[in-house]
Amino acid sequence: MNEHTAVTRRRVLRGAALAAGVAALPAGARRAGAQAKPTISYWNGLTGADGKVMDELIQQFTQETGIRIEQQRIPWADLYAKLQVSVPAGEGPDLALIHTIEVPHFASDGVLDAIADGAVAGKGFRADDYLPSTWQGGIYQGKRYAIPLDVPQHLLYMNVKVMREAGLAGADGKPKVPGSKDELLAMAKQMTKGDGFGFAIGTLNPGKYTWGFQNLLWQNGANVYTPDLKRSALADPAAIEAAEFFGAIHARDKVAPPANANCRDAFIAGKLGMWIAGSWNFTGLREAKVDFAVAPVPRIFKRPIVWSMPHQFTFPRPKAADAARRDAAWAHVRWMSDHVAEWTLKAGQISARRAPHTDPRITGDPVLKTLLAQAPNWQGGQPTPKWVAAENLTRPVIETIYIGQKPARAAMEDLARQINALPE
Amino acid sequence: MRRLTPYLFLLPGLLLFGLFRLYPLLDGLRLSFTNARLGRAQYAWVGLANYERLLDDTRFHTSLWNTAFYTVASTLPILAIPLVLALALNRRIALKTFLRSAFFFPFTLSVVTVGLTWLWLLDPVVGPFNYYLRSLGVPARSWLADPATAMWAIVVTTVWWVAGYYLVIYLAGLQDIPRELYEAAAIDGAGGWTSFRAITLPLLRPVLLFVFVTHIIGSFQIFGQVFILTQGGPGDATRTVVQHLYETAFQNFFHFGSASAMAWVLFAVIVGFSLLQFRLLRGHTEY
Repeated sequence: MNEHTAVTRRRVLRGAALAAGVAALPAGARRAGAQAKPTISYWNGLTGADGKVMDELIQQFTQETGIRIEQQRIPWADLYAKLQVSVPAGEGPDLALIHTIEVPHFASDGVLDAIADGAVAGKGFRADDYLPSTWQGGIYQGKRYAIPLDVPQHLLYMNVKVMREAGLAGADGKPKVPGSKDELLAMAKQMTKGDGFGFAIGTLNPGKYTWGFQNLLWQNGANVYTPDLKRSALADPAAIEAAEFFGAIHARDKVAPPANANCRDAFIAGKLGMWIAGSWNFTGLREAKVDFAVAPVPRIFKRPIVWSMPHQFTFPRPKAADAARRDAAWAHVRWMSDHVAEWTLKAGQISARRAPHTDPRITGDPVLKTLLAQAPNWQGGQPTPKWVAAENLTRPVIETIYIGQKPARAAMEDLARQINALPE
Repeated sequence: MRRLTPYLFLLPGLLLFGLFRLYPLLDGLRLSFTNARLGRAQYAWVGLANYERLLDDTRFHTSLWNTAFYTVASTLPILAIPLVLALALNRRIALKTFLRSAFFFPFTLSVVTVGLTWLWLLDPVVGPFNYYLRSLGVPARSWLADPATAMWAIVVTTVWWVAGYYLVIYLAGLQDIPRELYEAAAIDGAGGWTSFRAITLPLLRPVLLFVFVTHIIGSFQIFGQVFILTQGGPGDATRTVVQHLYETAFQNFFHFGSASAMAWVLFAVIVGFSLLQFRLLRGHTEY
């Protein structure tokens, strides 16, 4: 080996290492050197375990694209109030994640920018790639305002230890799944003793959990508004029947925890047997190492409807258009849509995009598989700007039913009157 | 120029007062006569319609009643408990400084921290309060979900939170009372109760008035504890005026016109009560 050859090899190796190093740099970082990338603001209500997952994904997005995101995680109700106040003042975010039911009133109030069909197609978003209900949820009065991300939904969680102790598990240790309202109540009574409860709907404050109440309404063929959205349907017999069940589980049968209980903590502490709650809870339960099983939301009334409420990406209207920031916001929506399988696996939310639904990592997970299987029974809120106001009015009224302060019929008639009196 | 000098010194403060206090107050009054809604550029003059609607708004009536109930229910404990503590901590006792700090500590916490702490303490299933009750053989209760106890739970939380603040105010008042008066009373054979009745209470009257007036004003504006602990529930059992106002302005359709009318009714009630208090206690004290 002569010196000349050795030096040449070293040079070659150095050159190769340098080239490899440059190639290994994220594409975004290389571009960032040439042109500064904008920093965008992004508001969402992912305050649970899913928020940490979003943090990780945003970090990955920034590494890959060079676009920085200033994220604000705010409880949903406060987020919506803040959006309504901030956007008209020109202080809104570049990107906001909201629930589908919020689209109509934010769109009608001019809080959201409409998205041109050309822009949607130009960014590579196609209706065929999405579940139809989620894609339709982004449209209000013929205009698109949102791009769907995922489908938070209800699920039946069963505490294996509690159910086994109550003799409600098979020989294989698997808990029994209730098949009807009567069976559910009988099983719940079997598990209720001392400070433990057999059944609950809702995470915090089950007495005013409107999303659980809506699930019961929908299972019984009832709804908040009539199909033409002109008046409230909550005084109809089917709605009253659902309300009577809502009151019976706590006020009459005492199988559900008090109106202000923290059901998640109770479930983790082994003081709750069966629990209908949001899909966003299951990754937290796994972290807490709770021995639990899941099943589709049981059929309590006529149809096994499952409450769902897709999250949608929206672009709040800025004071002055900024193409670079809007492009950066679009880049994040595109990136999240392309990486939504990671979101599903880590945050536990089934994607609105169909492609990840065949991902073996998702179909192989028993909880995600159950969530996917519920798809034919998903139902969401009605597309009216008054939906959210009606929901706010519903909260205290159903609580009076839950605690037995007011009979279901009188409470529902009063609620329907209040909703009908909502101004245009 | 010499005449103008004091006004020049006052000017920065007056400007800030005008900009951040007076202007919003008067603009709120203007809005209360309109159908203004956040997010809608156009709004119209509706005269007294928002005030008339309040006459029919049963939830507003409930919230007014609840606010009055809270104010009455919390006043005696707020006046008495810090006073008893202050009298005890104004003596030469062991751990005096530590105890003063310990009682003041809750007041350094934000209302959210206080609310979340008590929410957990009173949790009906996993809360320690019910746990110890059960272990003593007393049946557990849903303190915040029972219309009979929810408002009282809010009163207890508030007393725990603010007692330390009023304790410090009382201590300052007690230390302003000349010691010679107590010494002279003792020579004349006055006991502890007589000294308290004849010296402490009369000389503490300005402080008592301050505590009374500020507490009443604060009580009518109660919001944070209710928002965190019960959100006005169960049903509307703890719904207060500011909670109702907040929901009208920021949750149910952003009706700034209606919410402004509520704010002005509340303002009128507070002014009325404050004037009544000053009138009742006028002549008995310098303030």
